[in-house]
Amino acid sequence: MITMNHYLILSGILFAIGLVGVVRRKNLLMLFFATEIMLNAANIAFAAVSSYYHDLTGQMFAFFIIAVAASEVAVGLGLLILLYKKYGTINIDDFTIMKG
Amino acid sequence: MNDILSVLIFFPLIAGILGLVVSEKSIRTYGISVAAVEFILSLWMWFVYDPANAGMQFVKRIAVIPDFGISYYVGVDGISLFIVIMATLMTLIGIIALSVKKDLKNMILTLLFLEVAMVGVFVSLDAVIFYLFWEFSLVPMLYIIGAWGGEKRLYAAVKFFLYTFAGSLIMLVGMLYVAYVYQSVTGSWSFALTDWYSLVLPISVQKWLFWAFFLGFAIKVPMFPFHTWLPYAHGQAPTVGSVILAAVLLKMGTYGFVRFSLPMFPDASVMYITPVAILALIMIVYTAMVAYAQKDMKQVIAYSSVSHMGVIILGIFAMNAEGISGSVFFMLSHGIVSGALFLLVGVIYDRRHTKLMSEFGGLASVMPNYALIFGVMLMASVGLPLTMGFVGEYLSLAGFFKISPVMTAIGGTSIIFGAVYMLSLYKRSFFGPVTHEANKVLKDLDAKELTALIPLVAIVIWLGVYPKPVLQPIDNSVKALVSFMHEKAQTPEAKNTIVVSKRTKEAQ
Amino acid sequence: MEKYVYIALFAPLVGSLFAALFSQRPKALITGVVTSTLLFVSFVASVILLNHVSQVGAVHVTMMDWIQAGDMSIPFGFNIDQVTAVMMTVVTLVSTVVHVYSNGYMDHDKGFNRFFSYLSAFVFSMMVLVMSDNFLGLFIGWEGVGVCSWLLIGFWYHKADVTRDVNPSISPSWAANEAFIMNRVADLGMLVGIFLIYWNIGSLQYADVFAAVPSMDHGMLVTIGIFLFIGAMGKSAQFPLHTWLADAMEGPTPVSALIHAATMVTAGVYLVIRANPLYSAIPEVSYFIAVLGTFVAIFAASMALVNRDLKRIIAYSTLSQLGYMFAAAGLGAYWVALFHLAAHAFFKALLFLGAGNVMHAMDDELDIFKMGGLKKAMRWTYLYMGLASLALAGIWPLAGFFSKDTILEVAFNEHTYGIWLILWFTAGLTAFYSFRQVFLTFTGDERYKPLGFHPHEVPKYVLWAMSPLALLAVIFGWYKDEFVAFITHFLPTYEMSEHTEHFVVILTVVTTAIALSGIVFAWFRYSKGLKRSAKVEQSLPYRILSNQYYIPILYENVFSKPYAALSHAFWEEIDQQVVDATVDGIATAIKDGGDSSRKIQTGNLSDYLKLMSGGALVLVALVLFAAMQN
Repeated sequence: MITMNHYLILSGILFAIGLVGVVRRKNLLMLFFATEIMLNAANIAFAAVSSYYHDLTGQMFAFFIIAVAASEVAVGLGLLILLYKKYGTINIDDFTIMKG
Repeated sequence: MNDILSVLIFFPLIAGILGLVVSEKSIRTYGISVAAVEFILSLWMWFVYDPANAGMQFVKRIAVIPDFGISYYVGVDGISLFIVIMATLMTLIGIIALSVKKDLKNMILTLLFLEVAMVGVFVSLDAVIFYLFWEFSLVPMLYIIGAWGGEKRLYAAVKFFLYTFAGSLIMLVGMLYVAYVYQSVTGSWSFALTDWYSLVLPISVQKWLFWAFFLGFAIKVPMFPFHTWLPYAHGQAPTVGSVILAAVLLKMGTYGFVRFSLPMFPDASVMYITPVAILALIMIVYTAMVAYAQKDMKQVIAYSSVSHMGVIILGIFAMNAEGISGSVFFMLSHGIVSGALFLLVGVIYDRRHTKLMSEFGGLASVMPNYALIFGVMLMASVGLPLTMGFVGEYLSLAGFFKISPVMTAIGGTSIIFGAVYMLSLYKRSFFGPVTHEANKVLKDLDAKELTALIPLVAIVIWLGVYPKPVLQPIDNSVKALVSFMHEKAQTPEAKNTIVVSKRTKEAQ
Repeated sequence: MEKYVYIALFAPLVGSLFAALFSQRPKALITGVVTSTLLFVSFVASVILLNHVSQVGAVHVTMMDWIQAGDMSIPFGFNIDQVTAVMMTVVTLVSTVVHVYSNGYMDHDKGFNRFFSYLSAFVFSMMVLVMSDNFLGLFIGWEGVGVCSWLLIGFWYHKADVTRDVNPSISPSWAANEAFIMNRVADLGMLVGIFLIYWNIGSLQYADVFAAVPSMDHGMLVTIGIFLFIGAMGKSAQFPLHTWLADAMEGPTPVSALIHAATMVTAGVYLVIRANPLYSAIPEVSYFIAVLGTFVAIFAASMALVNRDLKRIIAYSTLSQLGYMFAAAGLGAYWVALFHLAAHAFFKALLFLGAGNVMHAMDDELDIFKMGGLKKAMRWTYLYMGLASLALAGIWPLAGFFSKDTILEVAFNEHTYGIWLILWFTAGLTAFYSFRQVFLTFTGDERYKPLGFHPHEVPKYVLWAMSPLALLAVIFGWYKDEFVAFITHFLPTYEMSEHTEHFVVILTVVTTAIALSGIVFAWFRYSKGLKRSAKVEQSLPYRILSNQYYIPILYENVFSKPYAALSHAFWEEIDQQVVDATVDGIATAIKDGGDSSRKIQTGNLSDYLKLMSGGALVLVALVLFAAMQN
């Protein structure tokens, strides 16, 4: 029997993977992927809780997140390409012009 | 008639905004006229004020944010009435005596905006409005010191701003907490002082709130050890800045004690008389000695202000009508006298561009009128009977004598040390032979300076000989305040310490 | 009678304000004439009041309210009783004479008009002091005379400071400040006394206060008595607050005559006399007053013995006579003190004005060693000063004889033989130094000649102006019985015991004998001319006396210099190094904190993300922790 806990644990593991990716990766593209993983981890949790409580709000929210993530990727990838064109790299260690 | 206070607050504001389009040439006339009208309005307010009524008059209350109980709520009683008049008077005198050449227009408009804040602080009966005016008063003063000041003006201006601002933030937290308590007791929000007065706070809460408000007020007064911004501010500020700062802005602190601390936290106020009085005594003795060590005339008067404010604090914490009336009167006399002294130092600074006493000597031979007026103000400053300075100082000390004779005797040394630093200033600058060539050709006071100074001399003597027209309304309101505090006090200690005068009892 | 009260009080003020109008003009004789006339008017009004008081009784006037706050209610009220009437008459009489005299004395001074303005203002303050019907009104006058004294001592303010060797008073402005500040020290004591009275009795009116005295706690009365007396000590220059009086001689001589001999310095005595119901109730304090007075009498007389400065000698003699008055008042003989006060005012003012004549003749030279033989040039001044000195020495039938002799009888009568002995001995010293001065100035060789002085007598009208004082110095004592009858309507009578009555003749003879022997000794020593002996002048006692027991130097080292040093230390070491440094330190700490934490803003997104996730984890941990707590 797959209970809600299993889903939540899966979601937690995915989230942790995403978090490690965000912290460790230096490539901006990989950072994007990592954030996508984290968002999807949240989606899984939303969907699971929604189905468990028979409340559609959670699933609705998951769709909402998917939509937001898609538009974010669209804008983000555009900026990323511009960055690459301008500096010839997408390694974040090379972008420290905001150093205090 | 009830709109008189709103007129007093907003007239300089509107005039200040309109003044933006007045040409540089006619701005002095414009400024003097506006300040004069404002002053006459405030005199008219005194004229229609009913001295027999001890409560708030000309009350106006308009809800601004009803959900949070914030309202535009103004009114005056005997305690604030004369401080408002003094604020308008000193602004007028300050503008008349103005001698800056640079950006005259900005200076005059800034002074008008400052006047808005000063009047606003003393007539506000709503804590939020009070706080707004309180903080707003910092901005024009920051600008005045920072733009027209001496060499270290930026340091002085920033220090003045940050120091007082830090203090008032803590006061703001205290205010919010009082409002929160009020809401939890009555179920509705209110920032009106009159509502807060009716709130009987538990002693443990009073203790904390007392210190929160204390910090805000003490830095403004300024009390030892929070006084170090003042010598810099005075030392660097242009003459008019020092005049307004000493005459009115410092009074906001002591006024705050009378308006907030005493009626809201009577038990805590009584409980903390000793520590506050010790600070006041340090202020009196220590800063009087520091004043004696100064080389700069203006710094002497700046430190003397701190010393005199110590006596005012003693009077406030006397917890009887003699002391509190005396200290409110002393606020007025200190405003007039130290304002005049700063003007006088400004006169000599305009001529010689120095304020060091070692640069002078023998001025009495060269500038007799100047020496005469300086002498009168000096005598008022050291508290000579029949000048304004005596009445307040005497009553403040007499009041505190009831609390502690020994401390009063120590505080009374202010009359000795005051004489020491003021007379040594006078001797070093005015007596002896004229040693510097540059001083031999100094011109005596001109018409503009006399116009500014003679009214102050007249007031100092008039209110020294016959203080009743001013002292009586003050006393009425203070008596009401004291009996209110007595009623409200919870601990037996506070009940005993807060002495309701016999006359009040008979009237009841 | 109210009318005369106001005339007596305000005529000097009007004169002062009138003269003030001319203060920046060149000399205008009218100021002198008007102020003198108004002073005379005030004198006439005082005499009318004196007469009225003796015929009818005291006059009480309340002019208006002054301070009203809480329960404190202080009016401008004036009460003219016997003591006040005597004081008023003495003050206005001496003032009138001094005003007229000053017309001549200040003739060539640039500040002629200013001088009369100050002098009349002083008289006004003095009148307020003696006429007030409450303690705070007295305090107005008390401080008012202090300020006028400050203005007048420092009248020649343009003189520069010099060292103590050149001029022991340093400079007029220095002496003025010294006098004011030293008086302020005493005024604080007085103020404390006033506060004590207010909070214990609830009123400052003399009538209420003295009515409450019998029912009050003895300890409290003692405290009040002590603090009021501290005030009196300052104004009357009693030890240890005496140094200002000698330095006050920097002022113009008419000022010394009026303020520092006849009137202001007797204010302390007046206060003790005024508060006689209080001091009668506290014999221990009164006894202390008598002892202190006795001490000051001999202490000041000893300094006068060796001094060379004409005015300082008279100043010390004033101090010494004030000691006599306090001794009398302290022993309970209040009317005797008042009697001596009045007699002293006449002959001492005369003596000072005579000294002023001498100064005028000698171009402001004060050293009596440089004078001698002036009697040829200044016959009348010699006569006046001789008379005044005889009166001061207490020679029958002059005024001083009656008053001083009575004080000695009182001391004897109270069985305080120590006090009697010292006062008796001081009477001899007084006679000696007075006549040492007279003989050195007026007789013997003309030591001034080689120095190029050309002394001349003062104008006739000045001499005439001095004549009322000379007359009174002679005859005032003859009216002792009338005075007693008049004054004891108000002051307690003082009866000599039978035991004393037996000795009266012997006492008088003994006292006169020592006074005469003082004069005779002075005659032998000095009338032929100045004989200086280096050995004596080098001796330790002589040096101690001529340096005023080194007290001014002691005060400078114990009070003035440490005060200045402490002030500088407070400012430079504490205010700047500790208090302000702490404030700046807090600001610097915040700034440094910002500076160091700026390092975490690397600009590297990866670092931010690490920090962010670390922060998020901490928050999660906190939430978990909080959840587990519940």
